Amino acid sequence: MTTIDYTQEPAITIGVVTSAEIDAAISAPLDRFPSRRWWIAFGIALMILSMGLASVTAILFKGLGLMGFNQPVAWAFDITNFVFWVGIGHAGTLISAILFLMRQRWRNAIARFAEAMTIFAVICAGMFVSVAHLGRVWLAGYLLPYPNQHGLWINFISPLVWDVFAVSTYFTVSLVFWYLGLVPDFATLRDRTRNKHKKLAYSILSLGWRFSNRHWSHYERMYLILAGFATPLVLSVHTIVSFDFAVSVLPGWHSTIFPPYFVAGAVFSGFAMVQNVLIGVRKFFKLEKIITLKHLENMNKVMLATGMMVGYAYAVEFFMAWYSGSQFERFVFLNRALGPYAWAYWIMVSCNVLFVQLFWFKKIRTSIPAMFAIGVLVNVGMWFERYVIIVTSLSRDFLPSSWGHFSPTIFDFGVLALGFGLFFTLVLLFVRFLPSVAIAELKGVMENAQPHYHE
Amino acid sequence: MEHIERTQIKVSPKNRLIGWGLVWLGVALCSLGYIVDAREAAFNNVLNFLFLAGIGIGALFFLALEYVTGAVWSVPIRRVNEFLAWLVPFAALLAIPILFNLDTVFAWAQKDIAASDALLRMKEPYLNRSFFILRFFGIFIVWIMFIRLLTRNSTRQDATGDQRLTKINTILSAIFMPVFALTLTIFAVDWGMSLDPHWYSTIYGIYFFSGTATASLAALTLVTAVLYERGFFPKLRRDHFYNLGALLFTFVNFWAYIAFSQFMLVWYANLPEETSWFIARWHGGWEYISIVLILVQFAVPYFVLLPQEAKMNIRTLRRMAVWLLFAHALDLYWLIMPAFSATPPLGWMEISFPILIAGVVLIVLGWQVQNLSLVPVGDPKLKRGLEFRL
Repeated sequence: MTTIDYTQEPAITIGVVTSAEIDAAISAPLDRFPSRRWWIAFGIALMILSMGLASVTAILFKGLGLMGFNQPVAWAFDITNFVFWVGIGHAGTLISAILFLMRQRWRNAIARFAEAMTIFAVICAGMFVSVAHLGRVWLAGYLLPYPNQHGLWINFISPLVWDVFAVSTYFTVSLVFWYLGLVPDFATLRDRTRNKHKKLAYSILSLGWRFSNRHWSHYERMYLILAGFATPLVLSVHTIVSFDFAVSVLPGWHSTIFPPYFVAGAVFSGFAMVQNVLIGVRKFFKLEKIITLKHLENMNKVMLATGMMVGYAYAVEFFMAWYSGSQFERFVFLNRALGPYAWAYWIMVSCNVLFVQLFWFKKIRTSIPAMFAIGVLVNVGMWFERYVIIVTSLSRDFLPSSWGHFSPTIFDFGVLALGFGLFFTLVLLFVRFLPSVAIAELKGVMENAQPHYHE
Repeated sequence: MEHIERTQIKVSPKNRLIGWGLVWLGVALCSLGYIVDAREAAFNNVLNFLFLAGIGIGALFFLALEYVTGAVWSVPIRRVNEFLAWLVPFAALLAIPILFNLDTVFAWAQKDIAASDALLRMKEPYLNRSFFILRFFGIFIVWIMFIRLLTRNSTRQDATGDQRLTKINTILSAIFMPVFALTLTIFAVDWGMSLDPHWYSTIYGIYFFSGTATASLAALTLVTAVLYERGFFPKLRRDHFYNLGALLFTFVNFWAYIAFSQFMLVWYANLPEETSWFIARWHGGWEYISIVLILVQFAVPYFVLLPQEAKMNIRTLRRMAVWLLFAHALDLYWLIMPAFSATPPLGWMEISFPILIAGVVLIVLGWQVQNLSLVPVGDPKLKRGLEFRL
């Protein structure tokens, strides 16, 4: 049994470093010309993105028929991708807002990056509903309630309209929250840079920040209020996404556990994605001293907890399907586990519930290759979870005569590529243009910034 | 490290007398209830059994949560949770009269109904007397085992200060968490949901948890605040109380979120096999209880606990804790009693069981504060916990 000294605070801080060292370490990637490795990665991301854009363009010209969905499976990859990406966004807000409210200061080193991923993920999610799935994108404006000469008004009782409100509010608040946190860092960059153009850009973005006491006091108060706003929003977004399914009467979709179950699943997959990308970033930009193994281990613990919540929901749904005594409910779940999509179902169960149990062991929780592999598996599993929910329930509903089978075409995979391409392109641009770690917040968790350090 | 003294509280004979007086008065009234109207008494018995068991097991949940998350702020008041957790075995005793009267409470336990109802025949492998009683004992044995292990290690640490005991308790707590989720769900389905044996809702376990956890926190806050006001927790700060207030606020919101999710989805889908449960709670006077429940369990505590200042005000917290304990009782009343009567029952029997459990709580807590240290003096995290600042 390893011994932990419980009388001491576990090291959430980053050791003894000077503020100048932090400034230098974090702004180094912004100051130098991108390395070859970055260009290669960026090239791959752009290539995936262009494959996606090509598919979407073809779909816009020719119509949605290029994709595999049809009656009865009229929702497939687009909505799966949408729910997947909205979910990815949740970890960012959980880390930046909820852990902030809980005063978990270890979050300071990873909050900026996670929050940026939130914004990119929500952009990706928005793409799927507003561009790919809508079919006639030029009518996207009708999703918003505005008086128009056609006398058209949105259908307020449709959860898809609630999605528009929930996702756009969430995006706006996340963006403001993220930008607010960036302001002091822009000021730091402004003061450091020698490049005239950069100086101008950073000066404008830093909104005249002078690190004065008064600035900080306003900043701290605003940050707390925005964190308070973001917290219910993050819950509401995935709750409303779950309503897309759960307000219907379709067995497998209509289940009262959906709201908390979807939120837990979103945090689960979001943490897996943050963990995966951070492992890469800390290695390539040599941030191992700032984003420590402890951060990654904590994220893995959150994944273990949320993974078990998801497993709980699977178990409860299965049990209740039997307990309900309803023939349709029972059939849907048996069909998931044994029917034509059983392969997808078992990928989902093994990735989301079984493999993640390895995080019970500290050795695996702190081994980078192992945690990376499990993180990837979790993302695969969570993508398949949405796929299973959407496709199996639609493909076989009440009437056997209207059953069908969904098989994706190359364009479905093209649309899938769109999300990953866009996301990684934005992430790669982010690490080049903006500080990936919150410089000002990080200074608060330095060992030599603690009150007891000088005692 | 400065030495922290054990604190033990001498319970005055008067208080002990009050405790036993309440217990005997409660036993007398409840027995009378069973004689006068066995059905009403049995339903009240279920309600109060769930209330007491919920507070106890919720306290164990927060105890385990402290170990799993490595929290330090709650270490100085952890004993309160340990004391409350020991209510669980006494709650189990309270269930015994119902185990002998299953058919007065549960429709599925009545032979003629179970045999003639097609749905109940399908559910028979789960909803039958022997399996039900087996589950009851299984759940309580597991819960009491965890209570015993966690509190025993904690008390042993008072004398030895052995850090390994914290490690052992952390591992036990981590194992307890998934066990807790499953057992509490089964418990909620058995004792709450199956009162209306046709009805089902997948969120029910989480709903039960949200109310139970809120009530447990309220009990923890109440006991801590009362002891603090009498000078028994001299080293606690406003910072500690702020955390209790913030947690209460969180759980009030969590309850509302879960309750709303359940209602919204059932209302929107409008399936007759699901809406029946809410319809029963929207007629014959139950609609007033439904509305009052929203106000009492959510709206009022939300606005009272929202300001930062309120979360640190010990008097506000103490009052809100009492309020939320009442709210949870009302929540259980709303969950259980519509299965008993189409109109909200209110008589002396609704008071007699609470008298009994108030007495039980006083006796169980009184015995423990007298024999065990109020502060876990051997806990390695105690000093950090006492130094906790926001």
